[in-house]
Amino acid sequence: MDTLKVRDAKDVEEVVRAAIANEQPLEIIGHGSKRGIGHAMATNAVLDVSALNAITAYEPNELIVTLQAGAPLADVLSLIDAKNQQFAFEPMNTALLLGTPALGTIGGMIAAGLAGPRRIRAGGARDHLLGAHAVSGFGDSFKTGGKVVKNVTGYDLCKLLAGSWGTLSVMTEVTLKVMPKPEAERTLLLRGLDDAAANKAMTAALGSPFDVSGAAHLPNSAFRTKTEGLGDIASQGEALTVLRLEGITASAAHRAGSLRELLAPFGTATLVEDSASAALWATIRDVLPFAADGALGAWPVWRIVCPPASGAALGTLLARETGGDVIYDWGGGLIWAALPPKSDAHAPSVRQRANAVGGHATLIRAAEDVRRTVDVFQPQAPGIAALSERVRAGFDPKTILNRGRLTRGDAA
Amino acid sequence: MAIMMPASDQAVLARRAEIVAALRAIVPGEGVIDSAAEMRAYESDGLTAYRQPPMVVVLPDTTEQVSLVLKYCAGRGIKVVPRGSGTSLSGGALPLEDGVLLGLGKFKRIREIDFDNRAVVTEPGVTNLAISQAVAHAGFYYAPDPSSQIACSIGGNVAENSGGVHCLKYGMTTNNVLGCEIVLMSGEILRIGGKSAENPGYDLMGVITGSEGLLGVITEITVRILQKPETARALMVGFAQVEAAGECVARIIGAGIIPGGMEMMDKPAIHAAEAFVHAGYPLDVEALLIIELDGPKIEVDELITRVETIANACGSTTCQISTSEAERNLFWAGRKAAFPAVGRISPDYLCMDGTIPRGALPKALARIRELSEKYQLGCANVFHAGDGNLHPLILYDANKPGEIERAEAFGADILRACVEFGGVLTGEHGVGIEKRDLMPEMFSEIDLNQQQRLKCAFDAQGLLNPGKVFPTLHRCAELGRMHVHAGKLAFPDIPRF
Repeated sequence: MDTLKVRDAKDVEEVVRAAIANEQPLEIIGHGSKRGIGHAMATNAVLDVSALNAITAYEPNELIVTLQAGAPLADVLSLIDAKNQQFAFEPMNTALLLGTPALGTIGGMIAAGLAGPRRIRAGGARDHLLGAHAVSGFGDSFKTGGKVVKNVTGYDLCKLLAGSWGTLSVMTEVTLKVMPKPEAERTLLLRGLDDAAANKAMTAALGSPFDVSGAAHLPNSAFRTKTEGLGDIASQGEALTVLRLEGITASAAHRAGSLRELLAPFGTATLVEDSASAALWATIRDVLPFAADGALGAWPVWRIVCPPASGAALGTLLARETGGDVIYDWGGGLIWAALPPKSDAHAPSVRQRANAVGGHATLIRAAEDVRRTVDVFQPQAPGIAALSERVRAGFDPKTILNRGRLTRGDAA
Repeated sequence: MAIMMPASDQAVLARRAEIVAALRAIVPGEGVIDSAAEMRAYESDGLTAYRQPPMVVVLPDTTEQVSLVLKYCAGRGIKVVPRGSGTSLSGGALPLEDGVLLGLGKFKRIREIDFDNRAVVTEPGVTNLAISQAVAHAGFYYAPDPSSQIACSIGGNVAENSGGVHCLKYGMTTNNVLGCEIVLMSGEILRIGGKSAENPGYDLMGVITGSEGLLGVITEITVRILQKPETARALMVGFAQVEAAGECVARIIGAGIIPGGMEMMDKPAIHAAEAFVHAGYPLDVEALLIIELDGPKIEVDELITRVETIANACGSTTCQISTSEAERNLFWAGRKAAFPAVGRISPDYLCMDGTIPRGALPKALARIRELSEKYQLGCANVFHAGDGNLHPLILYDANKPGEIERAEAFGADILRACVEFGGVLTGEHGVGIEKRDLMPEMFSEIDLNQQQRLKCAFDAQGLLNPGKVFPTLHRCAELGRMHVHAGKLAFPDIPRF
């Protein structure tokens, strides 16, 4: 298969135009770190943007960074970290979950739109993408948005590009919002709660004025023998409910105290600080309990998003029905479920249960033969599906970009 | 009217009586208004320089009625202009002579308050402030707070992606909505999202927000609510030079502090506001910053000290810190009344709304001063300084021949300067008709065509709110045409592997 390593936006235009003329769909890749997510594609050439890797401009005082789409996420994170700034949406590192070597590129981060624990407070990649230059499936470079936070000039096409898995356009350059890193973080730990009680504790915390920036629950699990990244925080066989407070030191400490009082009915919370707290949240963000090289590495993994207060009931039911394992983030609004291997990855059960509470599920990790028979992305109601297809065709009428990735059977 | 609207369809106008009767069959009783006198209330929105009575006004009160009205109009090629409370400052709800004005004012009910999921499900005609009031007893509020929040509807907020003083810290409407029910021009009713943090598939909610009523008619919205911060305090800081105030803003952000609000006023705005509300503003300064910190008391107290230190280092000439709610509200009173205050010193004013990078603030103010000289019109400036959103208020007298034209040319030049300095044409008021013809200053034809293709996906006939946002309208068939660049793989020099 041909791999075309583009050097600039002009190259991207040229490759896409040739692909249109020859009716040869393209797979768009950066580092290929998330290539295993989605359906097998009907593409016979690869458009590789990893050489579009320049950091165009970093303006800490404007709280923005402008990057080419192939810029390595790791480099960008260390660049902004040096100025004590961060992407507030806490992008996850999928490498350990998927068993791939690379952390990936900025373009991949946006196209996948996988936000971390702070999503409950700071939003997702979609909320931090201020502007983009991209090449559509018409082979034309266009721009949308700008370089300022407050902007309502024209349709906000950035929202569509975020989470589009490369099916609308090839992003070439993006401007992202950065935010100051908090001075301090404190995490409260409650031990031994069942899922329902943990959900209630998280709901109470998120409904408090203490500005909680992370709320997760790791149930007691027979499957997890290792406590990846948790060190001596978690003892085996004990559920852990964790709540994060960030900000200036005095404030984080003060709010931790107030929240601990509020949560007294759920038990006596203990505290971890700063680097220990950061390691704990990285473990949750990157879903290390289900890491590819861990005990459940061979199990399919679902990412289920639902109304937060429904999380525990949904997760408990799924774990019981399938004999699987779940962890909760976003106060119950995000469930990671590793389920025992099965040819359909338990899709009917997962989708039916998620639908019942107004949630939706994505099969993030599964063998290729499973993905051939199961819809990786949530099938949509017919009206929404038809509208989404019209939207897609407005960007890429010949389905040149990542053909078949989102919908099973399109590749045929 | 200085702006060209789409040509009226005479065939539609000729069938007006028939159309009114058909709409009455869908929306019974007083829901259809066709008398010239009664329609006058709808002939303009917050951009009052432009007026146009609609062909007919229809005020449905169910989603089903909205769907039937749109389906009827779509079937007969009749244009529709949606309207919430009519507070748009960019003419987003300006009627069309041959169009149905579809008012959502009867959708006034909050349908569900769900504290556990921190969400409110509401009809679009509910005002922004009413949502906060409905959840206040439990300590919650809805964060975006446009200045018109007493009157503006949440449906309009979604259409315009409204901001407000606090969006520096808490985001705009788009960052605070979870889902909606929307009726397409075809009459099709769709539900997008709900109480989950993310929706599956393409982010349709994200692109509907801020689409200025061109993509669909929203009949229900689910918003995110937050707990109110424990406390808030404000600093009022005066500077002898605008540059120093700009530097102070940059250093606060640079120090990692994101205030709840950070507003700047220039001398004319300070004087107008002080004369109006007597907030105790210093009159001998060139720029005044109002900086509000919110959160737990211990945090606010600490940050107030840090901000005060920064302000002193930037050469502030006055610095007052609120010690009570009454004092904090007084600091804000002048800023919040800035528009009416300016209305007292000038018969008319135009309110502009560009955004620039924060660092370009002194440059932008200098340019505005030059333009003020050039056009011989006064200008008072209020800014959301924290996010670089400028609101120059251009003073003019509509009764003096030629002044409105000069004021509009002045405003257009300010917006061009915003783009030149790396900013955008509108930060929160929307494009509407007001900035429509300036869109090419910021976007190429290719950029605008890509946006219009999105419009085609929602409304292929182009019947919903035509004449807004886009300076040139193209037929969808034309936009969808593909220029196939003939030939084999043409890029011999691109590295292959």
